[in-house]
Amino acid sequence: MNELFTQLLTTAFLVTFIRSVVPLLLTAMGGLFSERSGVVNIALEGLIIFGALAGAVSTLVLEPVVGAAAPWLGWLAGMLVGGLIAWIHAVVSIKYRADQVISGTAINLLAAGVPPVILTALFGSSTESPKVEQALPLWGVGDLRFSPPVFFAFLTVIVTWYVLYRTPYGLRLRATGEQPGAAASMGVNVRRMRYSAVILSGILAGTAGVFLSIGNLDSYVRNISAGMGFIALAALIFGQWKPLGVLAATLLFGFLQALSITLGGTDLLPPTLVTALPYLITIIALIFTGRANAPKALGRPYEG
Amino acid sequence: MTHDPHPRPSQTAARIALAAATTAAAGMLLFPLATLGRGFTADAALLHLSGSVLNLTSNPETPLPAVGATVTLGWLTLALLAATIFGAVRRERWFWLTGLLSFLSALAAVLLLGGGLNSEMARVASDTALRPGAKRQLRNFYDGGGMHLGLVLPILGGLIAAGAGLSARPKVWDRLNRLRSLLVPAVAIGLAVVVGALVVLIVQPVVNLSGQPLTLWGSWLAKSDLVYFVYSSLFAPVTSLNPLLDSLKLATPLIFTGLSVAFAFRTGLFNIGAPGQLTMGAIGAMLVGVYAPAALGWLLLPLSVIAAGVGGALWGAIPGLLKARFGSSEVINTIMLNYIASAVFIFLIGTESFPFLGRTYNLPIKAEGFEPRSQELQEAAHLPTLLELLNVGRDGTVALSIGLLVALAAYFVARRLLRGRLHALIALAVAVVAGALTWRIGIPVQVAGSQLNASFLIALACVALFGTLMWRTATGYALRAVGHSPKAAEYGGISVARGTILAMTLAGMFAGLAGTHYVNGGALDEYRLKGNMPVNVGFDGIAVALMGQSTPGGVVAASLLFGTIDTGGVDVDQKLDKVNKDIVTVLKALIVLFIAAGGFLSRRVLDPPPPQLDAPGPAKAASGPEPLPNLGLTSTEVSNRAASDHSSAHKDSQA
Repeated sequence: MNELFTQLLTTAFLVTFIRSVVPLLLTAMGGLFSERSGVVNIALEGLIIFGALAGAVSTLVLEPVVGAAAPWLGWLAGMLVGGLIAWIHAVVSIKYRADQVISGTAINLLAAGVPPVILTALFGSSTESPKVEQALPLWGVGDLRFSPPVFFAFLTVIVTWYVLYRTPYGLRLRATGEQPGAAASMGVNVRRMRYSAVILSGILAGTAGVFLSIGNLDSYVRNISAGMGFIALAALIFGQWKPLGVLAATLLFGFLQALSITLGGTDLLPPTLVTALPYLITIIALIFTGRANAPKALGRPYEG
Repeated sequence: MTHDPHPRPSQTAARIALAAATTAAAGMLLFPLATLGRGFTADAALLHLSGSVLNLTSNPETPLPAVGATVTLGWLTLALLAATIFGAVRRERWFWLTGLLSFLSALAAVLLLGGGLNSEMARVASDTALRPGAKRQLRNFYDGGGMHLGLVLPILGGLIAAGAGLSARPKVWDRLNRLRSLLVPAVAIGLAVVVGALVVLIVQPVVNLSGQPLTLWGSWLAKSDLVYFVYSSLFAPVTSLNPLLDSLKLATPLIFTGLSVAFAFRTGLFNIGAPGQLTMGAIGAMLVGVYAPAALGWLLLPLSVIAAGVGGALWGAIPGLLKARFGSSEVINTIMLNYIASAVFIFLIGTESFPFLGRTYNLPIKAEGFEPRSQELQEAAHLPTLLELLNVGRDGTVALSIGLLVALAAYFVARRLLRGRLHALIALAVAVVAGALTWRIGIPVQVAGSQLNASFLIALACVALFGTLMWRTATGYALRAVGHSPKAAEYGGISVARGTILAMTLAGMFAGLAGTHYVNGGALDEYRLKGNMPVNVGFDGIAVALMGQSTPGGVVAASLLFGTIDTGGVDVDQKLDKVNKDIVTVLKALIVLFIAAGGFLSRRVLDPPPPQLDAPGPAKAASGPEPLPNLGLTSTEVSNRAASDHSSAHKDSQA
């Protein structure tokens, strides 16, 4: 067991830990906006994939033109595409009052089909993009060096907390998720609130994808998100739809993921089974939280 | 009340006919009329309505079939469509006739063209036969020919216009109204096809082997040919036997997973866990099939099949239990269980040994070699292929027994005719007798070996089980009540918790049985569990269930459609360089998205307003009931058959 602890108390583990937390945190914060407005966003997984794809592809395309600025524009593209795909989810589930879970699942299915088509058309390979020459830069000291989305992610928590609890927009957002009818009678445009929240969730999940493709790796590969969108959703539920709770939950899940990555290289446990650990813990965690504190209008199309 | 023998078509019907006929007429002018032949890399010779031929093949001297009459019939069709447009604009009573005629004349053009191509094909075949030394052609050039968008659109458009025009007659309207539930899937497929076409247009450059530069008009025709080629390949397996068997093979697991998702939907649950349940079912089938004692003999196969069902059922029961006991969302839990199942799967067949707390243990399940796969199943646990099972030919000939079809037909006829308590059982007995009597009668066929196996029959049995359980038993009633309104069910004395657990367990069992197709049926090219098992079939089950509207028959139909386009996708993958079979995945995703959005149709179309809202006042009542705006029907006529509409409206308000 000593061996285990020495492996956990290294800088390398800390770096793995933070890198596991960041995509979960960004995605879960996005999901927070969407679900607080009353729209279930199971499409987060697909949004990450679209963000990652857009980030990598636009960086590759822009590299010869703008040089070092390419990954930054790639980040922007990832946000835009994430927002655009989320907008589709919003239209289907808000305007056409579709079952939000089914609409989200459709986006996830789309994320399984569209990237291979685009990659084949552009690069001739259906599973991965070529490597980008310049990924996002790394900031920091010594071994503790991270790409900008890492700092952005932790900043997002503070901003989200402030927006949610200290601004009129946050108040309206929370009201929309709890009692859309009451909010509407107070002059809140429920649909517009929901649209903005869902698109915001797409932008943040897109950023998570950009972090994965050009912040953490240097290319888009198939299955790059590996279920992070769903774990983020579980973290959102575990964190009781509150920014600080979600932060704590993602830290826990991130720790478990980092643990499974680190343990996978040791001879303590079968590596394939260790990868299932975060999912198992998620199920157990959900037993203790359930849907008790969910926004009351969550999953219900607004009819007004 | 005076009776109007020839009521005018309603405003909406005229508009639909106008749109259909205009689209068809424009399509005839803008797209090629026919493909006269197609080479191996999708290079084609295209015929336009004007009679001009665009040859994109490498051989400019290719002899082409005579097309004179086809073009003439094309012009006739265009004239008839113009008449239909004129009639629809003026809301004439006769425009259904011109619509029907344009359908017929376009059909005649297609048949004529087919005749010409057939004689060319016969010529090439005899040519090759005359020269025995000649290299065999990979594919007959004329084999890939046939109608094109310019003839498909008038066939469809004429039919729609005729239907719209005839809908003014109550009897036809009745027939059409029964098809209302097909509206959303049909529109969703149509929209998905349009979006898919745009993707193909953007992604794939024109296939031009002629060496000649294309004019703007020529490249437009060639581009539209690409779209037509992709879709005609996707839907091609319907027309010939061997690809049809292939598509049935791909449809089999979809029936299982589609039933799984549909069963949960009926109980108000969303089962995204079919991939995991399928995996666990396959593992169960493999464990019994490989490790059960050989002394069991023929019992091995049923035990292995049961193990598949049990494996899936257990994996489905977990989220059911968690939802019933702790209220945790089955959506998230089934997704998590998918990942766990996938980890277990890789653990079992990916490694021969594993470390545990510093020691290394051996795991005997993985077979020798580099590839992740299990040991092979014992011979007794193999499912026969359907061809073996149904072959009653002698002396090496292949003859498919017609017993199964006769049994099915007998069952449905007996079900229709009989009444009384035991009618289902008697019908079943009649079917068994009829099947046994006709078993030795076979139709001789020419088929290559097909992997379509007896799990297809298990799937059909599951379809029957779904239908019987859901609509013929008290349990099914309880499950549907829970799905409609959990609170009302609870007050009605139905245990929601029990229903939830039962529904998820059975849903898991359906998905788990799909494992028999892969493991016992040898659909992975070997009778074992292999790493290339396509688990995303579980997600396709969602699309299948949605498209089949969660009815057993609908699930089968949707599975067949998806099996067909999956088979066709392989063909597209081979022939075009930039479009691969992932286009099929995109289409499926779009279909789900569009069905979720109700096909972007307005609620007035999907759920006609209940007649009492439109009840005529005293003044109106004196002059007889008014036709409702969107139906062209009077309110009394509607109220006679409002029952079904009511129930669907009720369901909507629940959601």
